Amino acid sequence: MSKKVLTVDDDPDISVFVKTVLEENGYTPVVAKNGEMGLAIAREENPDLVILDVLMPKQSGIKMYRELKSDDSLKNIPVIILSGIAKRTFLRSQEALTEFGDLPVPEPELYIEKPVEPDELAEAIKDMIG
Amino acid sequence: MKNRKLLFVTQFEELWFDALQSLMDLRKAGFNHAVFLHVIAREKVAMHRGKGYLKDEEVKLREIANVRFIDWAESLFEQGMEVGAYIVVGNPLPKIISTAAEEDVDLIVTGYHKQGKLEEIYGGSETLDILQRTSRPVLVYKYILPSGAVNEKPFERPLLAMDWSTASERSAQHLLNYKEIIKSVIVVHVASEKEFKGSSSMEIQSVRKENKRKMEKICEAFEKQGIQTESHLHIGDTCEQLEKAAREREATMIVAGTTGESSLKERLLGGVATKLVKFTALPILLIPVDEEV
Repeated sequence: MSKKVLTVDDDPDISVFVKTVLEENGYTPVVAKNGEMGLAIAREENPDLVILDVLMPKQSGIKMYRELKSDDSLKNIPVIILSGIAKRTFLRSQEALTEFGDLPVPEPELYIEKPVEPDELAEAIKDMIG
Repeated sequence: MKNRKLLFVTQFEELWFDALQSLMDLRKAGFNHAVFLHVIAREKVAMHRGKGYLKDEEVKLREIANVRFIDWAESLFEQGMEVGAYIVVGNPLPKIISTAAEEDVDLIVTGYHKQGKLEEIYGGSETLDILQRTSRPVLVYKYILPSGAVNEKPFERPLLAMDWSTASERSAQHLLNYKEIIKSVIVVHVASEKEFKGSSSMEIQSVRKENKRKMEKICEAFEKQGIQTESHLHIGDTCEQLEKAAREREATMIVAGTTGESSLKERLLGGVATKLVKFTALPILLIPVDEEV
């Protein structure tokens, strides 16, 4: 049975792009368009990997990430953050985001800045979940 | 502390990043999530004679807004704020109202969009229309001081306008939500000259004493929270006197309750909130009487 990957992004073009990369590489994609929906699907589907955008409406990517990493049943799911926000900025922000939020923001398993090439994304997914 | 969310509405004309940056004190009052909203006016991309819908123009405008928002978001992340963003095509007013509801924001921050005189009388400005269609607090953010400098700490010394209506009582109560970032509150009541017409000196002093007593009661609620207060009674035109008091007492913003009236009379004659929004140079925090809590 193929591995399930949840992709959470409000940009339909990016969602289609990631979904296509996943399908072409033998994974089963599950798509959510915001953090709220993403978290609900993660709880329901228990995916093998989450690919998450940060800058989204409704529940933001950070909020979803915080909740994901603080939930005992979900915290071991690896996360790739795929965002237009620079990696350096995100890593520098972790402390401040933790200070002003209710839950900590740990370092993600992998951070990729948009735009990403299909091969680079496929390779990264393969390295993480096989 | 409750996690709070603000909606920052920008057309990249009246509110820029420095406006957003000057609101970062709000983090201490529990605001840890900002949602950006940019509405691309439909007429910029809608059907043009011989050209149809300008899809390329829409993509270009979206991407320009997106690049700006990513830049802003990076700065906010580093200061511990979560960020969400909407870039949509449509009529600004319904988009602002629907986004505020969808995101369940605690505060709408908008600039003041002036319109032509006739449009303003009959159609109302977009800012005033927001006030009439939402039951969420609205900060009409005029963040450049008359000196040309940025109002760095708008919540530090607010002037609270009290007329003893339910709306103004509600605004006093609401202002306590910002207790962590308020240093002092200036409570002002403006009595009309009519109240004193034909009265004896004794009666006039009684009116003064009664208003002072009510203001002191409001002050007590703030002082209990460690916020300094002062109270002042002015007489005359409400809007003029509030503006004058704000200037004399060096207020950083004006806070007032609003009933959100939308009648033609209100538009033509202008309620206090409407006049304040139009004429004062300070930021104005307007609290609807039926605020969603």
